Amino acid sequence: MSEQTSPLRPPLVTGDKTLGDVTRDITAPMAGKPTGLWWAAFAISSTALLIGVAAVWYQIATGIGTWGLNRTVGWGFDITNFVFWVGIGHAGTLISAVLFLFRQKWRTAVNRSAEAMTLFAVMCAGLFPLIHMGRPWLCYWMMPYPNTRGSLWVNFKSPLLWDVFAISTYLLISAVFWYVGLIPDLATIRDRSEPGWKRRISAILSLGWDGSARTWHRYETVYLLLAGLATPLVFSVHTIVSMDFATAVIPGWHTTIFPPYFVAGAIFSGLAMVLTLMLIARKVMHLEDYVTPKHIERMSQLMLSMGCIVGLAYGTEFFMAAYSGNPYEQFVFKNRAFGPLSWAYWTMVSCNVLIPQLLWFKKVRTTLPLVFVIAILVNVGMWFERFVIIVTSLHRDFLPSSWAHYIPTSIEIATLIGSFGLFFTCFLLFCRVAPAIAIAEVKGAAHLPRRGGATAVSEEQAA
Amino acid sequence: MTSSNAVISRASARKLVVATVAGAVLLALSTLFAPDRVWANLLVGSYYLITLGLGGVLFIALTNVCGGGWQAAFRRVPEAMTGVLPVAGVILLATLAMRLGEYGWHHHGEGDVGTFWFKELWLDPKFLAVRAVAYVLLWIAFARALVGRSHRQDTLPPTSNARIHAGMSSVFLAVFAITISLAGADWIMALEPMWFSTMWGVYQFSGLIQATLAVMIVACVLLRRQGALEGVFTDEHLHDLGKLLLGFSCFWMYIWFSQYMLIWYANLPEETSYFISRTHTAWAPVVVGSIVLNWIVPFFVLLPRPCKRSESIMLKVAAVVLVGRWVDLSVMVFPPVVGDLPVFGIPELASIVSMSGLFGLLFAQTFSSAAPVPRNEPFLEESLHYHA
Repeated sequence: MSEQTSPLRPPLVTGDKTLGDVTRDITAPMAGKPTGLWWAAFAISSTALLIGVAAVWYQIATGIGTWGLNRTVGWGFDITNFVFWVGIGHAGTLISAVLFLFRQKWRTAVNRSAEAMTLFAVMCAGLFPLIHMGRPWLCYWMMPYPNTRGSLWVNFKSPLLWDVFAISTYLLISAVFWYVGLIPDLATIRDRSEPGWKRRISAILSLGWDGSARTWHRYETVYLLLAGLATPLVFSVHTIVSMDFATAVIPGWHTTIFPPYFVAGAIFSGLAMVLTLMLIARKVMHLEDYVTPKHIERMSQLMLSMGCIVGLAYGTEFFMAAYSGNPYEQFVFKNRAFGPLSWAYWTMVSCNVLIPQLLWFKKVRTTLPLVFVIAILVNVGMWFERFVIIVTSLHRDFLPSSWAHYIPTSIEIATLIGSFGLFFTCFLLFCRVAPAIAIAEVKGAAHLPRRGGATAVSEEQAA
Repeated sequence: MTSSNAVISRASARKLVVATVAGAVLLALSTLFAPDRVWANLLVGSYYLITLGLGGVLFIALTNVCGGGWQAAFRRVPEAMTGVLPVAGVILLATLAMRLGEYGWHHHGEGDVGTFWFKELWLDPKFLAVRAVAYVLLWIAFARALVGRSHRQDTLPPTSNARIHAGMSSVFLAVFAITISLAGADWIMALEPMWFSTMWGVYQFSGLIQATLAVMIVACVLLRRQGALEGVFTDEHLHDLGKLLLGFSCFWMYIWFSQYMLIWYANLPEETSYFISRTHTAWAPVVVGSIVLNWIVPFFVLLPRPCKRSESIMLKVAAVVLVGRWVDLSVMVFPPVVGDLPVFGIPELASIVSMSGLFGLLFAQTFSSAAPVPRNEPFLEESLHYHA
């Protein structure tokens, strides 16, 4: 169906591509042997993963006394990393589901890798509460089912249990959404590959896709339904994560703005991670015509708006602490900005609020190395945001006699490194086994000629 | 109403004038027996009106920033909504001025004065008044600039793309986010000066955008029936506005619930005061009513696709949401001003009739001041031919 599109809209794909070019360009990185650059990246990230595995092994064998936690600071690196990774995943769902419902066609360039990122990030996130249990082999105790453990039953009033439900639902829906989106592209791979194991596997995974109008119709219906289901999840998951803190009566944790503020922060950090990865991937995988500077600019704008929302939330918290007249509330925020951990607070404010303001300028948004640096800084800032919320609210208790400091141990740092290793190892493998850009969706959105660009046609006529 | 492209007849304009004036006179007379109720009604009414005007600017700015094309055909409707800003601003400021001195925003000497220095400063009547004037002037200035640009576009070549002006729109969004948070706290949250909630600003925003969408639906449908937007405002537009109303009704509920649940769960006395005076008094059924009107009805009715494309169903749902907005605002304002007993009578009716009439008049006047469909609009073709 031909749609009316204003000439003011920039093209989604540049470089006079045809439909065939799209398939060729996007599947190119999957064919042949990996490059030296890929191997180097894979070596670094799998080493990081191994460090993490060793650290987790050691701390499970020895006990979580290997962490730097104490009676005052009962949550530290573990939950910081957990919230950080859950947040990273949110951009995937936002781009794939929310922007789909809002008909933002530029999403087609990044949705596939953002969804993959969601899955890997949620896996990394899940790791931390699991090892925090101390006895992860008993993790099935979190499932509410009639059991023989006497009166042992999950506590439905605890937001930590809501987390279990929210995050497992999120993982499930994200995985289904990602897989359903992959089906037409898996069929493309099946049709393009030589007979052998690769074709056999892609044939099984593409579920007998035949590309008929009926298949497409059903596929699009399912995709729309899944997008509708995934959208509330963008909100619910981080809302419930925020309730892990906000339902407590700890000043600095208990504040009503937390649900939307956490959701905005999650999307903010996720966009930063998508930008970090895509800016590298487009260069390494030669996808500059598909992830164009226009796409980067759009994501930068989204990141700026999320950064401003987060900044408004920081401001609101400070304002209300001052306005409330509650001395404990006021102390926590004074302590955040000027206490012993003020360096962490100001790192957070600089990276999340001040530096992203540069993105108001088009010149900055279109200078890709600059966007890359800002995106990395936002990642750092968002990690510190969780650290600030968790540790600065805890380390100076109501009673000064219970004040304590928190210093992460090498084991905790190694676990964090390991989670990054897991994330990047998974992402690098993903780039090898599945198309990093949704081929079928780009073709549907970009209105490309079947064969030969305008120039090719005129050359043919001339000949 | 003398303009040649007037959207309402002289007779209907006269009816609106009569409604506005009669309501205002009745409200003024009510001060004799219920001054508190009149004041509460004035605050609810003028805040309702000003946030509708502000919502119009918000819709224009948001769609400009996002590069939206679908709304181009009926963009004059949110633009016309901004026409209420100056008058609503005057009524609101006058309402605040009436009680600024004796109102008791903050009871001096209550609690530990040492930690209340900021509240003393912030709720100082003079500072409060200056801020209120500043917010209203800022809103009017941005509305004029954005709408003015759109009107000028009518005489410029279509490629000039002057009306978009994403820069000013994004600056407005930043200003809006800060001012609506502060204005909501100054004018409504401070009615209970010892109570506070960081969610308040988001809560104000959620109600504002929901009511704005509902008014746009009503206005677009009525203008299509009347003829001004016939063949321009399509079922596709109606469908999309319906989706947005469904989405933002859920957003309102999400924000309402998050605020309530966190306060209920933590059960801290300085926070629960707000909900105790609303859910443990005769106001409780009204609170439930606001949830039914603002979320349950729009959610369940707007879920099926045919409902969002049906003119009559959409009109009814939008009307329910608009009543819900009034109930929601009343639940915020009445308990601290009027008391623990919900009241509905002559002052409330008079205020509703008067403010509705005023809105209708100002909207019709602003809408008639420009072509009903933007000319030379680069996204117009996209808007007229798109499919939801």
